[in-house]
Amino acid sequence: MLDTEATLEIAELVAEFKPGNADLIPALHKVQHRYGYVPREAMGVVAKQLRLGEAQVYGAVTFYSELRVIPPPQTRIDWCSGPACRLKGGENVRLALESVLEIGMEENTAGDKVGLHLAQCNGTCDFAPQIWVDGKVVGPLTAADTITLARELKEKN
Amino acid sequence: MLKAYEELRAKSDEVWKNTQARTVIRVPIATCSIAAGARETLEALESAVKERGLDVDVQTVGERGLCWLEPLVEIVKADGSAVLYEHVTSDKVEQLLDEALDDVSADLAFAVVEGTDVEGLQRLDDFDLWALQERRLLLRCGIIDPDNIDHYIAHGGYSGLAQALDQSQEEVIQTVSDSTLRGRSGSAFPTGTKWEFLRGKEREPKYLICNADEGDPGAFVNRILMECDPQSVIEGMVIAAHATGATYAFFYLREEYPLAIERMEKAVEQARERGLLGDNILESGLSFDMKIWVGAGSYVCGEESGLLASLDDERGMPRIRPPFPADSGVFEQPTNVNNVETYSDVTLIMEKGLEFYNSVGTEANKGTKIFSLSGHIQRVCVVEVAFGYPLRDLYHAVDPATYQERRKLKALQAGAALAGILPTHIALKLPLDPEAFKPHGVLMGGGGLVFIDDTACIVDLNVMFSWFLEDESCGRCTTCHGGTQRMSEIFRRIGRGGGKSNDYDKMELLGQALQYSNCIHGSASPTIMLRSAEYFREEIDQHINEQRCAAKVCRDLIRYEIDSDSDSDKLPEAAAICPTEAVVQEDEKWSIDQSKCIKCNACKDVAPDAVRIVDAFDVLPLTPVGASATA
Ligand SMILES: Cc1cc2nc3c(=O)[nH]c(=O)nc-3n(C[C@H](O)[C@H](O)[C@H](O)COP(=O)(O)O)c2cc1C
Ligand code: SF4
Ligand code: SF4
Ligand code: FES
Repeated sequence: MLDTEATLEIAELVAEFKPGNADLIPALHKVQHRYGYVPREAMGVVAKQLRLGEAQVYGAVTFYSELRVIPPPQTRIDWCSGPACRLKGGENVRLALESVLEIGMEENTAGDKVGLHLAQCNGTCDFAPQIWVDGKVVGPLTAADTITLARELKEKN
Repeated sequence: MLKAYEELRAKSDEVWKNTQARTVIRVPIATCSIAAGARETLEALESAVKERGLDVDVQTVGERGLCWLEPLVEIVKADGSAVLYEHVTSDKVEQLLDEALDDVSADLAFAVVEGTDVEGLQRLDDFDLWALQERRLLLRCGIIDPDNIDHYIAHGGYSGLAQALDQSQEEVIQTVSDSTLRGRSGSAFPTGTKWEFLRGKEREPKYLICNADEGDPGAFVNRILMECDPQSVIEGMVIAAHATGATYAFFYLREEYPLAIERMEKAVEQARERGLLGDNILESGLSFDMKIWVGAGSYVCGEESGLLASLDDERGMPRIRPPFPADSGVFEQPTNVNNVETYSDVTLIMEKGLEFYNSVGTEANKGTKIFSLSGHIQRVCVVEVAFGYPLRDLYHAVDPATYQERRKLKALQAGAALAGILPTHIALKLPLDPEAFKPHGVLMGGGGLVFIDDTACIVDLNVMFSWFLEDESCGRCTTCHGGTQRMSEIFRRIGRGGGKSNDYDKMELLGQALQYSNCIHGSASPTIMLRSAEYFREEIDQHINEQRCAAKVCRDLIRYEIDSDSDSDKLPEAAAICPTEAVVQEDEKWSIDQSKCIKCNACKDVAPDAVRIVDAFDVLPLTPVGASATA
């Protein structure tokens, strides 16, 4: 792999991590923290740093649902897929989001304006059914509330 | 007792005493209260107190588990009296300060915690959902500042460790075994036995792991402990290190818990500063340290060998065993894995002693268990009860009146996707003890309790759980990744009206095939399916034989229609909200274009009286969309 400005920057970022030291996920977290996702180039750099195959790193990145391989959206919507939300109409909320934003889970709208992510229950079930807009809990939501909110987000951007 | 501990304690007592000198306003900052607006409340309080020049302290604490009352602010006065105020959102802050500092705000008050009775106000100790609890592990939650180790120490923290350090490894392990402590993750494996395995290993270094992956949907037991009393978990791990000879630990914490990560990291740092982690802990010669290690979102990484693989730079795929962690864990070294709550229990046992610990519980399980309750109940909460507490009584306390009147409780889903599901008539007879659940073909699990009423459909729930299991299968075993996929296909097809009478045979067969899986994710995955087929046969039959979903949940078996008798005032609004322009008006007459409708319910949200959901019994014939699908 040729060193470019980007890979040199990533190499510096992950320089503290060592092979055989339980460092793969921490290194990927650090990359994602910096870039908002794990860019393709980063996988090679991390592999080299930890003396792993690039395929192993790629395998790990795609194995975990919180590691992203596409750039983060400007506004991130996490949809809770947990049981309490489902019981109280979470599927209606999902349908409403997908149909207004015209994207599916783990996709962004054009220009990475708004993105949908399937999330797991974090125990704020008192607000079921809910979504998190940039990490902030919004709920309980009806489908109608969701449509209004999604339309606003779509227009704002 | 160790001198080093006495010195620590004296200093912390002093710090705590100083907080008592004047009025303290305690604001719970934890995930549930934050969702309810507690951060805004805290900010508003801090600035109002400053502006008014009040001689009071505003203090961050953890939460008490009464999630539905958040933000739940407590005012503790210098004379020791204390009152809890419910739903104190930021807009109520001025009112609270006006009314509650010199007196009690009757309008906002929830209960008296300490001090003289207030007319018309209940005492917290008499409040049913509080009175039934046996709060031991949760004792400090909502009272101390989780970011302040002095608060923890002043409330007895690290005295358990000090006592353990005075005992031999064998003595500590014997005490843990005598307490009957079994893994609180739901594994129910005797903790003392596991520790003895590790103690007996000669290969060094040895490692500990705290499993804080809490991936069970609907479980938020570990989260409360980490966010509200983080030191209690660390203390339990140091005790385990002493008992087993481990010198380092990884604290495997799920990324979805950002506040728990923050609090645990700070707690580790503070413990290190006080010499409670690191070299020569409390001058006893013990050396032990740990690292908060953040996961990346994978359910099977909660399975201990998946967790180990994940630490070891691999995809988090559960490994083939043997070897077991005690022989080959992190970096192929001897390792012990325990759950967050298990370690907290150890702290309690060492601090309060066996006699106290064993004074409640059942024959097989002494002590207490924390549960998180959610679903169709009024009071979403986290409680701690003695093992054996009647589930029915707990249910009545979390759903006292209104919810019940409208609906009938149909099922209980304890312990998440692998543990099973039970109909009400069985569930509500059970004591909260793992032994009582087993004869019914289910497990009690790690503490999640999801209550389900008759607005839910059992087929839909199976679609959800089997899809979760399919999605989270690591893919190592064909039985598991293929089997869970087949489970969701079957339930999806039944939900579309394409069910067949031989589907039960297929479920049976799948249940058997899935036993040949490498880990419990695969072998326990058919539990909900099989219990559903056993206990909710009639409802599934209705889907298969009549193409009917009585709860009107399965989308392909229902239709949204405009009720021609109803007044149509709200229908223009319904047409405006519909995301697919399916609500249409032609010659004054409103209707729903079935080819466009995605059944999202938005039109019914805004025009509840004008829109009806109809199923096969309301209008015939209704051609089930997926009737021709095969599986
Ligand atoms: C699919 C799967 C997921 C699991 N998830 C967790 C988890 O999130 N947290 C946990 O403590 N144990 C989990 N376990 C249980 C662990 O494998 C292990 O038994 C446990 O951490 C041991 O701790 P204990 O003895 O203190 O209960 C899971 C098991 C399976 C099969
Ligand atoms: S049973 Fe499932 S989760 Fe477990 S190792 Fe096999 S494929 Fe992976
Ligand atoms: S259910 Fe949703 S898609 Fe169907 S008509 Fe109503 S609003 Fe439109
Ligand atoms: S199920 Fe959605 S927050 Fe718990």
